Amino acid sequence: MTTDLDVPLRTRLGHSVQGGVGRALSIFWIPATAFVMHVVMRYRIPNASKVRKRFRKIVEESDEPLLICANHLTMVDSAVLAWAVGGSWWYLFHYRWLPWNLPELANYGSTWFNRAGVWILKCIPIRRGGRREDVAATLKRVKYLLSRGETALIFAEGGRSRTGRVQLDSVAHGMGRIVNSVKNCRTLCVYLRGDRQLAFSTVPARGDSFYVDLELFRPESKHSGMRRSRDLAHQIAQRLASMEEKYFARRK
Amino acid sequence: METSEIQSKVVEVIGRYAKDKEALAKATEATNILEDLKVNSARLVDVILDLEDEFDIEVEDEDADAVNTVGDAISLIKSKLG
Repeated sequence: MTTDLDVPLRTRLGHSVQGGVGRALSIFWIPATAFVMHVVMRYRIPNASKVRKRFRKIVEESDEPLLICANHLTMVDSAVLAWAVGGSWWYLFHYRWLPWNLPELANYGSTWFNRAGVWILKCIPIRRGGRREDVAATLKRVKYLLSRGETALIFAEGGRSRTGRVQLDSVAHGMGRIVNSVKNCRTLCVYLRGDRQLAFSTVPARGDSFYVDLELFRPESKHSGMRRSRDLAHQIAQRLASMEEKYFARRK
Repeated sequence: METSEIQSKVVEVIGRYAKDKEALAKATEATNILEDLKVNSARLVDVILDLEDEFDIEVEDEDADAVNTVGDAISLIKSKLG
């Protein structure tokens, strides 16, 4: 299990400062983000009320760590997902349940403005395929924040699905590694998809209506070591694939 | 087990996932698995798990963090074999 001592003091301080600044400014950026999605992009979530009620029940019913794992089709999935499960105003009073996000540094790190933006928006940039030590440090920070009672969002396939479906041959190992090393970690699988989303894209189509499904899941494995982490990661991805099957079955 | 024997098996395992077969043929202990041999980062986990099977060892995630080069993999295996 991750303890405070596993994470360098500098990282812990940096995490607290980032969280504090983001929270202080959240009165501006959370409503602004919701405004863009709801009014400008005209995104709709038909079962939003039911989904949000369920999410609030999940976070309130237990103090155990919660990792959110989702499918990935567009560059703004993390924002749409957060809005879908929590709305906007609720987060102003329950900021810790707005999930930290791990965007690919190459997508957002090109300018100072972008880097500052993602820093405020609860993001911990990660360089996929980068130095193993750097990736490990990022995962350690995620374990740390989960143990503090915050939550994080990880996309099960790492990047956006190139097939438009959950790709079981491209599962993010880090996801299983976190679940493996954080004691009593619960996994909330979220399947999110715009009805007009045929494949992966930069943003969902304007006016799209989103299907959102949540399943609370606690994967178990008989393996140990790294093999256990991989088994857990695959179980989570498999669960998302099953949720996807349910989505397509409903559309027939 | 001799280092040369370990290296030979390590290179054979990596070869299943390496895209750059030319670099693989010239691999030394300093060869970077991801950058030089063009192994997909997601496949590095498979490399380590195959090495577990090959040498009958168990590797923790934290152990694998230190594996960047062929030499790192050899050192890890040696430490596990005792």
